[in-house]
Amino acid sequence: MTKIVGEEPKPEQEVVRARQRSQARITAWLLGGFVVLLFLITLAKITTGK
Amino acid sequence: MQMTKPAALPADWRDLYALTKPRVMSLVVFTALCGLLAAPAMPPFVIGFTAILCIALGAGAAGALNQWYESDLDAKMKRTANRPIPSGRLDRQTALHFAVGLGSFSVILMELATNWLAAVLLASSILFYVLIYTVWLKRRTAQNIVIGGAAGAFPPLIGWVAATGRIELLPVLLFAIIFLWTPPHFWALSLFVRSDYAAANVPMMPVVAGYAATRRQILAYSIIMAAAAVAPWPLGLTGWIYGGVTAVLGLIFIAFAIAVARNDATEPKMMGPEKRLFAFSILYLFVLFAALVADRWLLA
Repeated sequence: MTKIVGEEPKPEQEVVRARQRSQARITAWLLGGFVVLLFLITLAKITTGK
Repeated sequence: MQMTKPAALPADWRDLYALTKPRVMSLVVFTALCGLLAAPAMPPFVIGFTAILCIALGAGAAGALNQWYESDLDAKMKRTANRPIPSGRLDRQTALHFAVGLGSFSVILMELATNWLAAVLLASSILFYVLIYTVWLKRRTAQNIVIGGAAGAFPPLIGWVAATGRIELLPVLLFAIIFLWTPPHFWALSLFVRSDYAAANVPMMPVVAGYAATRRQILAYSIIMAAAAVAPWPLGLTGWIYGGVTAVLGLIFIAFAIAVARNDATEPKMMGPEKRLFAFSILYLFVLFAALVADRWLLA
């Protein structure tokens, strides 16, 4: 990662970006989990014939 | 020079998690799981898992909506002042969006995975906790916990209905047990944190009716609850494991309640019996529901 000399991000900007990254990562995991869950629910419904 | 307001920090996931009242949720999840496991029909694992997940998310949404609505009240009480909204770590709008989104998601997923009756019960429990208890009763009447307790009594009923699609007598009795358990549980707590409730103008029983009246009512509700808890056994809905465990637990609960009734302390540090009853009441519910499942699975 290249750093531009003289344009160091302010500490609060770093906190904001760290939280945005953390939110994005958690959202991605939750969405992935939701897709897998829906797939498994569909399989279970097909298997039980409901 | 025009000052620009710094952008608000995005919510931290830990604060959103704390908004869902995870400690309360553990009891909700456990009773719901036991309601599901005690049902005569066992759904596929993934359907049962999703039902419990939806109940947990619904309870989390109700807890978050409660904290969103009561942030002014929470700020006045020592016990709750460090919650995400009153402490300033989370803004109210984010909390509201999170809570409504989580609640809607849990109800829709419940309908997709199980059945419409379980989804309706889940939606009713969220709305009951938020509208009837939080908005209507909590700041108006000392009976707030008595009527509002119904919200916390839904999980085993929802678990059962998610598995079977029907409302039957046993899950209704489980609902009644938690409903009757709530007043002694919360009033024991409210006795030793009375000053907090008084400072926030919440009309909890010890604030409105005093210590002695609250202690008498704790004993009365404990006796009725212990009797209701045993009822499924003589009615032939459970076996001797549940009946025996519940009878012994009920007697211990009443003994703790008698100790509370005999105590006349007004200082929290002298309220050992109240603290013991509060702690035991949590254990009581866990063991009662565990005995129900053990009864079903071992005697089936």
